Amino acid sequence: MTPPGEATDEALASRAALGDNHAFDEIVMRYQARVYRLAFRLVGHDDAPDVMQEAFLSVYRNLGSFRQESRFGTWLYRIVTNAALMHHRARARRPAESLEAFLPEFDGTGRHCQTPAELQVAGRADELLDRRVLAAEATAAVDRLPELYRSAFVLRDLEELTTAEVADVLGIEPATVRQRVHRARLMLRGYLGALSGVRS
Amino acid sequence: MTEVSCKTGVELLMDYLEGAVQDDVRTLLESHVDGCPKCAAFIASYLATPRIVREATAAAMPPELQESLLAFLRAQRGG
Repeated sequence: MTPPGEATDEALASRAALGDNHAFDEIVMRYQARVYRLAFRLVGHDDAPDVMQEAFLSVYRNLGSFRQESRFGTWLYRIVTNAALMHHRARARRPAESLEAFLPEFDGTGRHCQTPAELQVAGRADELLDRRVLAAEATAAVDRLPELYRSAFVLRDLEELTTAEVADVLGIEPATVRQRVHRARLMLRGYLGALSGVRS
Repeated sequence: MTEVSCKTGVELLMDYLEGAVQDDVRTLLESHVDGCPKCAAFIASYLATPRIVREATAAAMPPELQESLLAFLRAQRGG
């Protein structure tokens, strides 16, 4: 929410679209930390600065096409997410090792295979693991998520957009957002459990 | 659907949490979890996962990037 007395994002975008460079700088100052954090989570430490630059340049060049009926933040998140996606594809990375092995397992009757103690340990990963190890492993695990799941999970659970907002950013149905985020959560939960000493 | 297994409960968990299941299914899921310590433990760790990953991946923008970003953008727009 915009504090009283400050121009709204949408007002700044209108002024910037008309050539007011100070308004554009204000947009950059207002959003750069969030854009960097989102880029970091989508493409990692090394590529985040490039994605951030590409995203803000794209914002500048496309301000004229920003339609005021959508929130500026949603529009910006869409641009950053697309820039990250293009970057990922351009880098032609080696396919990441799948996290499918960390999905929960069930016996023939549909009951969890693990004990309650084993099932709960992933939720204590931040108590059980060294902070720096967890940071490196969590960043790598997010990078290993399938591309479709990664963007939905990062926007919904790490940037804390609502499911409806993520659907708007990605141009997909809310039910599809839920399905992708859920799969990502299941994989990451299992991965955190494995890191903490429990087999999936 | 007259009863749910752990597997079905896991499949429906996010829809349940977001209020996207019908009332009769919600009741069945809640009844199952009430009597299933495994599902209760699973759900606790499922709910903690986004917070743990969020906190572990919260990167602050390096201060030197702020200046270089503005300089890059000003150069691109010609001043």
